[in-house]
Amino acid sequence: MTDELEELGRRVSAAREAAEARGETFYQGASRVHLAAFPPRERWDDWVELSSRAWPAREEKHYMLVPTTCFNCESACGLLAYVDRESGQVRKFEGNPEHPGSRGRNCAKGPATINQVTDPDRILYPLRRSGPRGGGGWERISWDEALDALAARIRAALLESRQNEIMVHIGRPGEDGFTERVLASWGVDGHNSHTNVCSSGGRTGFQFWMGIDRPSPDHANAAVIYLISAHLEAGHYFNPHAQRITQARENGAKVIVVDTRLSNTATHADYWLSPQPGSEAAINLAIANHLIQTGAYDREFVRRWWNWAEYLTACHPQVPVTFEAFEEILSGLYAEFTFEFAAAESGIPAETLAEVADVVAAAGHRFSCHSWRSAAAGNLGGWQVSRTLFLISALLGAVATPGGTFPNAWNKFVPRPIHVPPHPGVWQELSWPLEYPLAQNEMSFLLPHFLKDGRGRLDTYFIRVYNPVWTNPDGLSWMEVLREESLVGCFVALTPTWNESAYFADYVLPMGVGSERHDTHSYEQYDGQWIAFRQPVLRAARARRGEPVADTREVNPGEVWEENEFWIELSWRIDPDGSLGIRRYYESVERPGEKLTVDEYYGWMFSHSVPGLPERAAAEGMTPLEWMRRYGAFEISRGQGAVHEQEVPSAELRDVSVDPFGRVYTSAPAPADPNIVPQGAPSPDDEGRRPAGVMIDGVVRRGFPTPSGRLEFWSSTLAGWGWPEHALPGYIRSHVHPSELAADQVVLLSTFRLPTQIHTRSANAKWLDELAHTNPVWIHPRDAARFGIARTGDLVRVETEIGYFVAKAWITEGIRPGVVACSHHMGRWRLDGGPRGAGAMTATVGLRRSPGGWAMERRAPAGPYRSADPDSQRIWWSDTGVHQNLTFAVHPDPISGMHCWHQAVRVRPAGPGDKHGDIAVDTAKAHEVYQRWLARTRPAGSVSPDGTRRPRWLMRPVKPAAAAFALPAGPAPGGQARAAGADGPVR
Amino acid sequence: MTGPAARWELLRALGAVAGDPADARAACVPLGLPAPGNAEHTEVFVLNCPPYAAVYLGPDGGLGGDAADRVAGFWRAIGVAPPAEPDHLTALLSLYASLGEAAAGARAAATRGALARARRALFWEHLWPWLPAYLEAVAALADTAPALAAWAGLAWRAVLAERAGHPGGRLPLALRAAPPPLSADCAPSPLSPDCAPSPLSPDCAPRGLPHWDLAAVLTTPIRSGLILTRRRLAAGADEAGAGHRIGERRFTLRAMLEQAPAGTLRWLHGEAGRWAGRHAAAARGGAGLPGRDAVQDWWADRARRTEAALRAAAAAGPGPAPAG
Repeated sequence: MTDELEELGRRVSAAREAAEARGETFYQGASRVHLAAFPPRERWDDWVELSSRAWPAREEKHYMLVPTTCFNCESACGLLAYVDRESGQVRKFEGNPEHPGSRGRNCAKGPATINQVTDPDRILYPLRRSGPRGGGGWERISWDEALDALAARIRAALLESRQNEIMVHIGRPGEDGFTERVLASWGVDGHNSHTNVCSSGGRTGFQFWMGIDRPSPDHANAAVIYLISAHLEAGHYFNPHAQRITQARENGAKVIVVDTRLSNTATHADYWLSPQPGSEAAINLAIANHLIQTGAYDREFVRRWWNWAEYLTACHPQVPVTFEAFEEILSGLYAEFTFEFAAAESGIPAETLAEVADVVAAAGHRFSCHSWRSAAAGNLGGWQVSRTLFLISALLGAVATPGGTFPNAWNKFVPRPIHVPPHPGVWQELSWPLEYPLAQNEMSFLLPHFLKDGRGRLDTYFIRVYNPVWTNPDGLSWMEVLREESLVGCFVALTPTWNESAYFADYVLPMGVGSERHDTHSYEQYDGQWIAFRQPVLRAARARRGEPVADTREVNPGEVWEENEFWIELSWRIDPDGSLGIRRYYESVERPGEKLTVDEYYGWMFSHSVPGLPERAAAEGMTPLEWMRRYGAFEISRGQGAVHEQEVPSAELRDVSVDPFGRVYTSAPAPADPNIVPQGAPSPDDEGRRPAGVMIDGVVRRGFPTPSGRLEFWSSTLAGWGWPEHALPGYIRSHVHPSELAADQVVLLSTFRLPTQIHTRSANAKWLDELAHTNPVWIHPRDAARFGIARTGDLVRVETEIGYFVAKAWITEGIRPGVVACSHHMGRWRLDGGPRGAGAMTATVGLRRSPGGWAMERRAPAGPYRSADPDSQRIWWSDTGVHQNLTFAVHPDPISGMHCWHQAVRVRPAGPGDKHGDIAVDTAKAHEVYQRWLARTRPAGSVSPDGTRRPRWLMRPVKPAAAAFALPAGPAPGGQARAAGADGPVR
Repeated sequence: MTGPAARWELLRALGAVAGDPADARAACVPLGLPAPGNAEHTEVFVLNCPPYAAVYLGPDGGLGGDAADRVAGFWRAIGVAPPAEPDHLTALLSLYASLGEAAAGARAAATRGALARARRALFWEHLWPWLPAYLEAVAALADTAPALAAWAGLAWRAVLAERAGHPGGRLPLALRAAPPPLSADCAPSPLSPDCAPSPLSPDCAPRGLPHWDLAAVLTTPIRSGLILTRRRLAAGADEAGAGHRIGERRFTLRAMLEQAPAGTLRWLHGEAGRWAGRHAAAARGGAGLPGRDAVQDWWADRARRTEAALRAAAAAGPGPAPAG
């Protein structure tokens, strides 16, 4: 090396050292992070880019980069808002490299947040209905008018003990537990969610195994990834999971995708299994049987962690309680699930299944799996899909191992907030009816039928970023009850944009999108715990400039607000003098008597409940809140590992009792934990000791939050609550099993997503609308020939049990013969004369009611229109698909409560009078179908083993006080149960 | 900062110039180079000389593919997860520097030896086979990219200094596995531009290549021995008297061959001769190499074969044949 080169090298080293000593990044690009270049965080105050529009002139644009969290799907990926320093407006959104889950990456929906901010059709001011409900007349009102009116209604209901007439129905979840705590502070059990039309089936299967209802697969470190859904391109946690699955594939992992439809994910699979819908659990059991018969399971893990002793005692009292005896029984339990059996059920060759089973067996502890909506949400007994899937993990011992699957509660952190109200003393029968004691979540989609049946009424019904008329099956029944003021006294839509449900509201209150509201989030996306902060970015930008903002409305467009400040203000007005005991949960700790601010709320949370954050912030001279406002996300821990194996410290073991199966109870109080992540809450022993762990080979270990403390291969809960035949992982034949179909019927898959849309929430994003705006019916060429459908684009009529819809055909080999498919998100509509929302995706329709039911016809397709955004005049498409959900009857699974989405349908060429988008529905028939499915249940009144409505240990978003669990004395179902008192904080 | 450590930092900084434009500007200050603007950076590293090994060593002359996979395989072989673009010059020089630093910090002799072997393999297989010609191509952009032409000159001196420390060895795999050169048998026939089979098949006889395929061969460095940048194509169109159609380089060259076949072939012939000379000069290594360099000799031979084939093609067509 010459002297010249050596001198240059020395100079570079000195420059680098000097930059790094200043806390700056010398190499921002590939030399630092493998070519993934992001704006280094020390430059977020003044990031310079050249204006593309000014090209070829070099016009510099100066931005302040402010983090927030995407509000489209549930993944909670990090975003960076580029706030123009000159105009103070957000110009674009890109990924936040500081976010541990998304790591700077986004799908199309993240950057499209800018469309939602600038949506010309968004709602900017509070509105009140000014004519008949659904008539399309609106008047602008002030927030004070809206708040005072609602507060008066709710206060009156509370004073008159009509707590169960208040309900808040959630679409996209916001901050974990926030709305639940608001309702608990009012003493109301009125939380309702969309989960039973979404993920309840998947959750149920996991919950009965491990007391925690979500899996956390460590995809990045897996050798084999087994997906029952389209996780790589559109499924749950799409972006965070896809990037980790891709990472695993680069390291040689095999990907197995079970999906009847050729999804984008399936195209990336090493094995794509396209089964007959509903046969997925049979496939899982065939794989499990292979592991059992070949001894390819982790014998020691099964011996230590399954509740086999409890199972033998309960179900095989004649045999000795030894592991060898259990193995003997286990070897016969699934013997019928041969590859040939699974092949007959699924239509997949036995040889293929055998090959896949060998691949799974070779994975050992590095087997990650996921099942969320898909089959678990489609079929009667779909919850057994995830239960049998986890059976494979539990056999392999791939539980909480690197590359395995964790319980989500170990990879999630929900910080304890400043105030925690007690459990309410009432039970909401409209959401948690006696017929469904084991329902994973609220029976939300049955609400119209319960109201029609006279089981109750609602005085004040809020929907929050939720569109029940469009989203739920049987939406016209929803419309019927939402129009009826005797059933729903006051209907309030908290929404950023118009939707099919908001048309029928009494109040439409505008709420912010991802860059206009506060929330914290934490999701299981790898073996670690993080929290992310969603914030109004212009408020944070102003604060960074030394201009504090006290009310988010000051920086949001128009009078758009955020929910946290809204709920605080509403609660304050419900209890103006504190006499109802509500106000104290919204009072400042720093300034007693004054109202809590969101700054204090989050400042307290980040200072007291997020381990490591105060120290990290202090090291940079910031408060924890300032740090989160600046960087947007914080990783609390990495590598949680096998929490169930942790030894319980002796300090926690006082006055211990141990049950015959090793469950250990203690009278020592539980150690304070700032993480209040939802999980099962096993009951105390008869003397009131709390469950602290489980005895494993003489050592008290933390175990799982199940009644036994172990993984529950056999569920004492299912057995004890009337379903002993389903207490083990098993196979329940679907309501669309071939034996249930007439010769001319096929299965319709209606639940799959497109990667660039998310339900109806993203329809106000023009970029996304241009990418995906229609939903043709996928039909295999053989079926097309059978049905007499000649070409792609031809109209078809799809007949369900309560009506039909007319859609375009897409003839493709990407779907299994005998099955058709139609994606959701599409078919958005507005009534003729109603307000425009999501104009690029919405057709104008006419709706007629006759004795035979409802008929919807398209009057005008989507098309160009004048607005504040010139792009709305460039809409080149008119086909926005069909709203198929209107034609589906409700199918509540009798155990999980999940709506079973798959439909048995007839497909035929459209008739001469049929037009694209036509819909016909008989809601009387829909009610009959509801009653048929209701008859499948085993109500708590007849099966409850202990006089309660529901096993107390099961998760529930708002868990009422213990007394409210008691079965009502009167005839059931239908009556309202009331119980006084409270027994602890809401978790 | 001692001498060896400065050596690694120098190479990393030189690599950083080819990466992020902001990095380039930061690195150029201590390197004593003029800082390139964004436009100049784009002109060189996006539009004319993409800094990826696969472009120069791959059988199709494009990004990714087998050539990039081969580099990714090297990362994996030494136990490092390959980055998203494993064959990017920035990543390669950063890795090279990191291996050097790691060896310097290793306690065990065996570890030092393994790291040194890995670094030598990286240089011989994945840097030296393309960097000399690549840096020459960048230097040729001096008119429009003076700062980065200066960078190329400095980088060449640094790479040459590294080459002096490597013993060399068997011809690198990318060159051994290279597709066959253009031969007189496969020479293009300007009179029947689209009548012959694809040269991608092993047997490219009978004579004559369609213009599209000829353009593909000539714009693929490892096949032709030439680096035809967009800038050079624009100059070539001017020289050949053809209109310069903006587009992907194969499209541009094909349009030139269609419009002015004789002039274009003449220009290409000259270009091949110039590249043969450059490679030969690199093979001699100036003052830096102990003897002839087999790798650069290989490139010189490839360019000479292209030159010969183009001469034959020009001779077969109308107009004066280029001088032999």
